[in-house]
Amino acid sequence: MIFHSIRWRLQIWHGLILVLVLAGFGFTAHRLQQGDEMRRVDQGLQHRLRLLSESLRPPPRGGRPEGRPGLRMDPPPDEGGFPPPGGRRPRENVSDLFEANEDGFYFIVWEPGGVVSKRSENGPAVVFQPPPFLRGMPRSQFRMQGDSRELYEFTPPGECVLVGRSVAPEIGRLRQLALWMLLFGGVVLTLGLAGGWWLATRAIRPIHEITEAAAKIAGGDLSHRISATETDSEFGQLAAVLNSTFARLDAAFTQQARFTSDASHELRTPVTVILSQTQTTLARERTAADYKATAETCQRAAQRMRRLIESLLQLARFDAGQESFRQQPCDLADLTRESADLIRPFADERGVSLIVDLKAAPCMADTDRLAQVMANLLTNAIVHNRSGGEVRVASFTEPSFAVITVTDNGPGIAEADLARIFERFYRADASRTGATGGTGLGLAISKAIVEAHGGAIQASSTLGSGSCFRVRIPSKT
Amino acid sequence: MRILVVEDEPDLLRSLAQALREESYAVDTAADGDEGLHKAESWEYDAIVLDVMLPKLDGWQLLARLRKTKKTPVLMLTARDRTMDRVRGLDTGADDYVVKPFDLDELLARLRALIRRSAGQTCNTLDIGDVSIDTAARLVTRAGAVVELTAREYGLVAFLALHRGEVVTRTALYEHLFDEDDSSLSNLLDVHVSNIRKKLGHEFIITRRGHGYSIET
Repeated sequence: MIFHSIRWRLQIWHGLILVLVLAGFGFTAHRLQQGDEMRRVDQGLQHRLRLLSESLRPPPRGGRPEGRPGLRMDPPPDEGGFPPPGGRRPRENVSDLFEANEDGFYFIVWEPGGVVSKRSENGPAVVFQPPPFLRGMPRSQFRMQGDSRELYEFTPPGECVLVGRSVAPEIGRLRQLALWMLLFGGVVLTLGLAGGWWLATRAIRPIHEITEAAAKIAGGDLSHRISATETDSEFGQLAAVLNSTFARLDAAFTQQARFTSDASHELRTPVTVILSQTQTTLARERTAADYKATAETCQRAAQRMRRLIESLLQLARFDAGQESFRQQPCDLADLTRESADLIRPFADERGVSLIVDLKAAPCMADTDRLAQVMANLLTNAIVHNRSGGEVRVASFTEPSFAVITVTDNGPGIAEADLARIFERFYRADASRTGATGGTGLGLAISKAIVEAHGGAIQASSTLGSGSCFRVRIPSKT
Repeated sequence: MRILVVEDEPDLLRSLAQALREESYAVDTAADGDEGLHKAESWEYDAIVLDVMLPKLDGWQLLARLRKTKKTPVLMLTARDRTMDRVRGLDTGADDYVVKPFDLDELLARLRALIRRSAGQTCNTLDIGDVSIDTAARLVTRAGAVVELTAREYGLVAFLALHRGEVVTRTALYEHLFDEDDSSLSNLLDVHVSNIRKKLGHEFIITRRGHGYSIET
């Protein structure tokens, strides 16, 4: 279980690498130190062996004995100072060298027969004689004997000279060094692991937050967001992306919920009319005229429901991208003229004058759909106008666009409402049912139709002096 | 009993007014919030049926402003049926709440209960001597026998019975029994009282000369 956690895996890898590095470093350092110590011991031994050999050498009488140079790798620097007039002095010096110092150097000299001819007092009780010299073997050799480092050499006459020294202090020092390094390594490892844990925890924390937030959102709380503190880290970016995704989902969901609620709300009113009217009528015997009036009321309510349902279905098809368009070359001027002619009786009835100013505006469009847009815009302009008001319709071209504008001089739309009038079921007036009989979906559908043509619909308005709706369709040729 | 209906959907307003008139209520109507508030402040209604979504002044605003001056029982009509909306309505000062679409019978029963409660009564049946008034069935019996009353006569009896023990002035009776379209003359009230006395006994309604009428407990 633990090994499935990213934090633990990170921690284990991190720990392993740290241990390897520390161990490698420690081992190397220890070996270097050990080699250094040994080299120093060996140099001491060589130096003393040389002195000893020289002191053992019989004082030269006229010349160097044959075979002797083997003992001396290189001439001792003080050879010139060794003219042995007495022959005894170096010998004593050598003895002092071994017995007076506290370095623990000792020596033994074996006769060719294996009998100890000389030895220092401070040597260990038992010193094993090196194996006899055989041809082909190096004349001098180092060896470890217990805690002692020894260097022996066979002289050409067959003597075996051995110099040794206990290396216990060095071993002790190395052991202490190892201990210190272990301690140091332990501290570094602990610090490293703690730092790693802290880093891993910090790095993992956004994942926890993301998981929790996602779980809450999955649980239905769509308004929940990931609280991203570090916006620059990779997780911060992920959190930001997720948050914006959640926000869009939330908005879409809220919009959908409001749409459904609004739709059912809009359907309630006609149903209420039908229920109330029929229940009142059926409460007692009525005249034929009463029944007729009731039937007419119900018909009005039912037709309103039908309009609403048709609009809802049309919007649903737009949302699903299933609405098909038959685009063909057309002139918005013709389309506008036809729409204006159709609506003129309604405008006359309302006492609104309709002024048409048309210039050719060719484009590719589905004329039936655009006629729907025009009917909607013109109806709105006439309904939301005063008696004696006027509605101006114009068509013209702009670079790469065919344009229609519908301008009225009615009461206008408040700025706060203007931004929302293309929303589904949004009405500037609190009244839903209204006397207009509209569904509250007209502008939303118009917008969907115009945008499906690749065009745009815009509204501008000044309170008190009227509104202007502007439809732009790309004039593809 | 006089009721104000504020509703902007003309068909619904008409059918509600018709239904209420047939229940012997005097009914005034208003098609928007401003008109509704004006009428509600000008007259003593026994109850107001108020739609929430109204042009000019919505139901909440109307109610909030009305409550500064009047305690008239208000029944709200709304298409919003979320608990939040109902709570808001009741907290703003509505006395009851009906969600569209509603059954007319339920609306009428709630209105009766609202009017009864605001008059301090708890029961649908009022017994005054040997006369019994069933406000739910709008039925008046005397010694067990059903007495036929016209809608106006019933309205007068019910209103006086609801406020029994009190002297009800002629002005109050006019305000509560006749709607804005009635052009009744003052003596008509006396005609109704006289007819009721013929049917339910002379002592049933007492005339307080100079003050008005009352039904004793």
